[in-house]
This record gives sequence, C-alpha cells and structure tokens, in this order.
Amino acid sequence: MSAGGKGAHRKQKNEALVEICSVRVGKSLFGVPIQHILEIVGSTRPRPIPLAPGFVGGLVHYRGDVLTTVSLRSLLELPALEGAQDILVLESATGCFGLLVDAVGEVLTVDAVDYEPNPSTLDERRRALLAGAYKLKDSLLVMLDPERLDPARLGEAKAA
Amino acid sequence: MDDLTREFLIESQEGLDRMERCLTELEERPQDKGLLAEIFRSVHTIKGTTGFLGYKRLEKLAHAGENLLGHLRDGRVMATAEVITALLKLLDGLRDLLKTIESEGSEGTADDDELIVRLEGLQAPARQAKAKSAVRAQLASEADTVLDTTEAAAQAAEAAVAEPKVAVAEPARVPVAAVSPPEPEFTEAQADAATLTPAEASRARAQGAAAESTLRVDVALLNRLMNLVGELVLTRNQVLQATASDPNMTLLSRRLDMVTADLRESVMKARMQPVSNVFSKMPRLVRDLTHVLGRRARLQMEGQETELDKSLLEAIKDPLTHAVRNALDHGIEPPAARAAAGKDPEGTLVLRAAQEGSHVVIEVSDDGAGIAAEKIRAKAIERGLVSAERAAQLGERELLQMIFLPGFSTAAQVTNVSGRGVGMDVVRTNVERIGGKVEIDARVGKGTTLRMRIPLTLAIIPALIVRSIGQSFALPQGALSELVHIPPERAAAAIEWMEGAPLYRLRGRLLPLVFLDRLLMPGHECRLSSERDNFIAVLDADGRRFGLIVDSLADPEEIVVKPLSAVLKDIGLFSGATVLGNGDLALILDPGSIAVKTGVTMSNEEDAAQAAEDESESDAARMRYLLVEVADRQAAVPLGDVLRIEQLPLSRIEYIGYRPVLNFEGQLLPVEDSGGILGAAAGNSETQIVVVVCRDGNRHVGIAVSHVLDVTSGGNLFEAGTGARTEGVTLLKERVTGVVDLGGVPPLPATGHTSESWQPAAEAMA
Repeated sequence: MSAGGKGAHRKQKNEALVEICSVRVGKSLFGVPIQHILEIVGSTRPRPIPLAPGFVGGLVHYRGDVLTTVSLRSLLELPALEGAQDILVLESATGCFGLLVDAVGEVLTVDAVDYEPNPSTLDERRRALLAGAYKLKDSLLVMLDPERLDPARLGEAKAA
Repeated sequence: MDDLTREFLIESQEGLDRMERCLTELEERPQDKGLLAEIFRSVHTIKGTTGFLGYKRLEKLAHAGENLLGHLRDGRVMATAEVITALLKLLDGLRDLLKTIESEGSEGTADDDELIVRLEGLQAPARQAKAKSAVRAQLASEADTVLDTTEAAAQAAEAAVAEPKVAVAEPARVPVAAVSPPEPEFTEAQADAATLTPAEASRARAQGAAAESTLRVDVALLNRLMNLVGELVLTRNQVLQATASDPNMTLLSRRLDMVTADLRESVMKARMQPVSNVFSKMPRLVRDLTHVLGRRARLQMEGQETELDKSLLEAIKDPLTHAVRNALDHGIEPPAARAAAGKDPEGTLVLRAAQEGSHVVIEVSDDGAGIAAEKIRAKAIERGLVSAERAAQLGERELLQMIFLPGFSTAAQVTNVSGRGVGMDVVRTNVERIGGKVEIDARVGKGTTLRMRIPLTLAIIPALIVRSIGQSFALPQGALSELVHIPPERAAAAIEWMEGAPLYRLRGRLLPLVFLDRLLMPGHECRLSSERDNFIAVLDADGRRFGLIVDSLADPEEIVVKPLSAVLKDIGLFSGATVLGNGDLALILDPGSIAVKTGVTMSNEEDAAQAAEDESESDAARMRYLLVEVADRQAAVPLGDVLRIEQLPLSRIEYIGYRPVLNFEGQLLPVEDSGGILGAAAGNSETQIVVVVCRDGNRHVGIAVSHVLDVTSGGNLFEAGTGARTEGVTLLKERVTGVVDLGGVPPLPATGHTSESWQPAAEAMA
C-alpha cells in the first residue's frame, strides 16, 4: 500500500484515512474499525455454554468479569475450530462482548474512498452482519459492524 | 454542589430521620421532654445552618416549626394528634426542600405559606381559638384525612390560605411576638442546653465522641472495595490450588487465605447497616395508614440491630412497605370486627429481624384475620390464574403461595392503600431479585406472617462444584439439602421409573429426578453409569424438591458471582457465572429455574402435611425420634437421648457372662440386643454392626440395630376409653411404633447401677 501516486492523493485528504484491525476467519479477511476495540486477547479457549444459541462462542474470563463471546465462524456457518482462538473485546451499546476469530492480523490503514457498500447479490443473512468492504490492492477487506454483532441484538434477531 | 452543602444535606436528612422517629413516639408519650428536645434540636440545627448557607425558604419554614416546637417544649401547647400531624407535614416539607436543593441546587420557588400559617396557627394559646376557628376547622378536617395527596394540599392551599393570610394569620402572629420576642441564636442554644437533663447531656457527649471515631465513606468507594475483594478471593482460590502440593508455600498461602478472609469480612462489615434504618420508617407509615384505613394497630419491632448489606437494605425497603400496607389493609380487621371476634380492638403488627446463618430473616406478622385457603382457591380460578381441576389438587401451602402471583388480590374492595393486585407480586419480585425468598403463613382468624429470607451479601456465595458433560457447574449451597451417593454396583437398581419419569426412593418417599447431562444436552441418555460413582444432589428450591443427578462432585467453594449477558440469562438455567480456584469458568445453576423448566412442582399435600408437622414440633407433646429397624421391626429412640451412632465390626463386642458390652478405652458400655442381631451375625467377626449410643439418666447404653432409618416427629396416642396418653409407643409416619425403653436395659453386674460410678464414663464419652 505504498504506491507513490496514491500516497500523494492520501496526503491531500488525510482525514479520510481509517485504521482497521484485520482478522482472519477461514480464508477470508475481515476488518473491525479500531476505535470499537477495547482489547485483543490472544489464544483463549472459551468455555462452551450448554443450550446457548449457536452464535455464542462461550464465556471467557476478562479482567475480573465474565465475557460472552460471539463466534464469527458460527455466524458465517463455518465448522467450529479446534484449539485456541483470538478474541477482540468490543464495546457495544449494551456493554462489552468478545468476538471470537481464528486469528487477529495487522492493523491496516485504508482510504475511505476505497469503501463500497454491501453488494445487492449478498445473501440476506450475511448482509445483516457485514457492513460493506474496502478494496485492497489484491483482495477485499470485508467490514464488520460491532453493533450488528452484539449478542443481545443477535439474540433478539433469532427470537424474532 | 460544594462539600459544605452536601454535608449539610446529609446531616439534615439524618436529623429529620431522627425527628420522624421521635414524633411518632411523642404521640404515645406527649409529655416526654427528651423527645421534644431532640426534635427541637433537629429543626434548630437545620434553621441555623440554612441561614448560614442562604436558603431563605428553608430557613423560614424551619423557623415556623421551631417556634411551634418552642411552645410545645415550654408546655404552652400540648402535643395533640393535630399538632403532630402538622409537625409531620413540616417534616415532609423540609424533606421536599432538601430534595429540591439536592437535585437542582436551589430551593425552588414553591410557596410554603400554607404550612407556615398552619404551624403558626397551632402555637396560639387556646383563647385565640375562636378567632381562628375557620382555619382550625379546615386544618382539623385535613388532619383527619392525613395522607398528603398533592391534591389535598393544593385544595387546602386555595381554601384556607388565600384569605386567612390577611384576615386570620395576622392576629395569630401578634400574640406570638408578644409571648416570645424574637430570640437571638445564643439564647436558644442556651435554652436547648438548659432543657437537657444531666443524663441527656452525657449522652450528647457520647454521641459527639462517636462522631469523632467515625467517618463518612462514599458508597461507590465501598462498592469498588467489595469488587476488589471479590477479585482477591478469586486470586486466593487460584493461589491455594496452585500451591497445594508445594510444602514451602503452605504457610504463606495459609496466611494469604486468612488475611483475605479477614479483609473480606471487614469490607462486608463496612457495608452493613442495621435494619433499624428501614424499620424506623415504619412507625410513621403505620400511623398514617391506620388513620386512613380506620384501623387500630400497635407496632412492635424486634431485632433492629440486625445488620444487612446496604444495597440489600435498600432493596427490601419497598417490599417491606408493601408488606406492612397489606398487613394493615387485609390483615388487621377494623376495631369493631375485632371486638366482635373477641380480640383486642387494637391489632398488633410485629416486625422482626434476625440473622440465621448466611441469611437475614425479616418477618411481618399481624394478628388479623389471616387468609382462608378456600378464598384463594376461588379467587385464583376466578382470575384465571389456575384451572379448576388444578386448583382442586393444590394443598393449603401451595394455595397460600399463590397470592404472590401477578394480578392476585383477595381484598373485597380495591382501596387506596392496596388491593390492586400488585402488592405481593412486587414483594416477591423484589425479594427474589436479590436472591431472597418470601413465604407466607396464615391461620384463619389468628393472623398472617410474611417471611422474607435475604442473603447477607450478594457478591460471594458458598457453592458446591459439580461436574457434568465434562464441565464444572456451581450449585448454590442455599438450595442444597443433601447429597446421595450411588455406587456403580447399585446404579442399575437405584432409579425407579414411572412412565418415563425417573424417581428415587429417599427414605421411603419418592423424589423426582432430573438428569443434569440430559437437561444440558438434549438427547443424552438417561441412566446412571455402572462404571463410576453417581451422585444425586437433593435440592429444595422454594418448596420444589427434586434430585439433580451429576457425574461427580468437586470441592465446595466460595464463589464470586458474575452476572451473565442477557442472551445467556435467557437460557433460563443459569443465574450467573464464576471463576473457580483452578481458573476454570463455571456456570452457576439456578435450582428454581431448573425445577420450573423440568416441571417439578411444589411439594404435594403429603409434604405440606409433613411440613406442617415439622413446624408444630415445638409443641411440647411432639417429640423427635430416631427411627431404627431392629430385626425387621421398627422402633423409636427419643432423639434427645441419642449421643452418637457407632458402626463397628462385630469383633469389638465383648461379653461379660451373657451380657454384650463395648469397651471404649476402658469405659464399658452395656449393649442391648433385644433383636438378636448380635447373635444372628455371630458367625462372622468382621460383620459391621450399628450401635446407637444413648443417654439414660447418667449412664450410657448402647442399642444394637439393623439400620438407622430416619429422624421424624412422633404423634401422641391415647388409650381408647380412658383417653390417657399411652407410654412406650408413639405414632411415627402414621404407624404405631414402640419406643425403646432405655431404663429397661439392665445395668452392668459390677456397677450396681449407681449414678456416681457412671459419671466419669458419661463425661469421657460425651
């Protein structure tokens, strides 16, 4: 991301740069705006919860509290992963929750002009979870909206 | 808000609380100078400080009250109900003002003239009565209705104040000025001091000393401390587990354990407040309500010094208020009805608080009409809360608990005070929210008792850690009544099935079972493992008894309760989560929800009868017995006489001649073997036998039994015809059972049955 022409272009509209934390789930790359992230907790094994809705990844101990996690894998209907996973601690309107991902990658700085909303062909269930994408040089950085991943909201959607 | 104002608000609130207590007492003892001095001091302090802080409206109101109180203190005005009502109004007025200052930072602009005129009107000597008759009539009628709805106040303001302010209040004000010229502050202070008896003065000094050794602490800081201590308890648990195998660390970790426990206790203590903080609001409430409802009631309060966590104390304020309202409205009958029923026209309302283990029990009991179970049955059907068929099956105990259902009220008429069917529902919801329990007990014509069991603290609870489906779960000790161990070899036969419902025979009674693994993983097979041990945790959740089958038991632990997110709470089986000593997370099982979810209902009629039996066991006629089986026959041993139960190999029994005896380190115990158990087992010296060691007067005797069955209450039996109480037999579980005659056990040959010679033995063995 250091193409000369683009760099000059960026300097002009410096305020349009956004920092995104990239996470990997399966083969796809997803992004979460870093201002929503409280903390990244590496290699955890959440405790499974019997009878919990499928999207719940389990409980983890976080700073003296018990944090409910949402499994991005199960939201995307991917098979569960054996072994430790990383957690992004996110803040939402109803409190904190953890987002369980395969691995947390680097923080990318992207330009707002490279953003495009969800394509109309996206299936409905995924459209509810995803918030558009940034075009990277050779791939897409699919954006996640922490508000839409809030377990309380997912729970309501499931109940409805 | 600056510190000075905050300090002033806190102090004034405390002063007003004190004043409220004193005012209700003053009504009973109008001549008590000490009470008057106390009330005077509260108002005077507020007046003094407000002048300094510049709250004019507050100062004016306090001043009017102070003048009236001055007259009262000097004996020029008597403390009649009217005067006390006015003073209570003053109290409310001052409280409202303080509240306004607290929330808005200023006094607001409302007008207190009506109240001031009223207060001033009351301090005029009797001969002024005629001139103010109009105002008085108005005030008196208002005094009768008492409870201050804002409408009443507004009407009174319109009707009474507008005119008297010019016409009547003026002449009323003149004599005041004539009688007591405006006193400078210091003379009032002197007067204040002058009225103090030496005893009071010393008490005042003692209070001063107490103030120096105490300190106000922000509740938020205490909460933070409590959370940190919770974390420390958790870390301690982990340290203890990690260092258990390291001998070098044992001493250190034991010390850490002790300090943590001590610290926890101290912080919890810092949050404790006596229940009198809530109880003290009740005399006023009772006074107001009895006026409105036309009841007569005497309020007794016991155990006011019992302490409870501050947040819990706050939480029980509403339920307690509801309970008192209910007792006055539905419980205690109108005086005429009481007189007709041959009761004291004045009812008694008792508030009682006491600590029981890790709970505080708060009781509200009245000696009113009680609740007729049939009425509840009819009402519940009428309201559609239960079907007629189901209602017919319900026992009295279950019916009584129905009044806690939303939308239930037995009051014939909806009154202003209660009867809208929200009260008891609110009581239960509030109490259960803080992990407490409510139950109601009523006897028709005798009265009603509402009992609230409140945990001492919310944050840390004792729990038993159990394992199922490979995970740990915490089971709150509060609901756990016993544990049953089923070894692998008994697994196949231990459970009985009734059309798919698993049952366990616990001391002869069937206990519904819930398989925890099946509950958590639907589709899991319901059976006990014959390869390993099985455990049944016998739970009692609000009268719902059931056995929870778990795979294994770990240690009991004190767990720090962490709330769950809404999504997980919705599962409805878990009340929270906790971090265990080994760092694992465990979900806290909620026995009440499990019972509801699996359809376990409240104990059936037989159990209710059993409970009633248990309750009335304090009756002198009823005794508790140890039920034993002696060679296929049941027999009873009075529980009070049982010292202990020994299980030992037959080889321990020795014989003096033909008499079996037990040798306990030189102390000989005669063994009674009326059932021939020892003889039957004679072949094998390793056979385990059970000996119940009992006290008979000063000596001890042993009774050989086949099994110990249960502990139960006995009923009396009477001889037909004569009606004389039978000796030597009792009614246990509806069966006539012989009581073992301890005195009939012959003494050992050498002792000659002298009590002296048995004395040392008794001490050694007790």
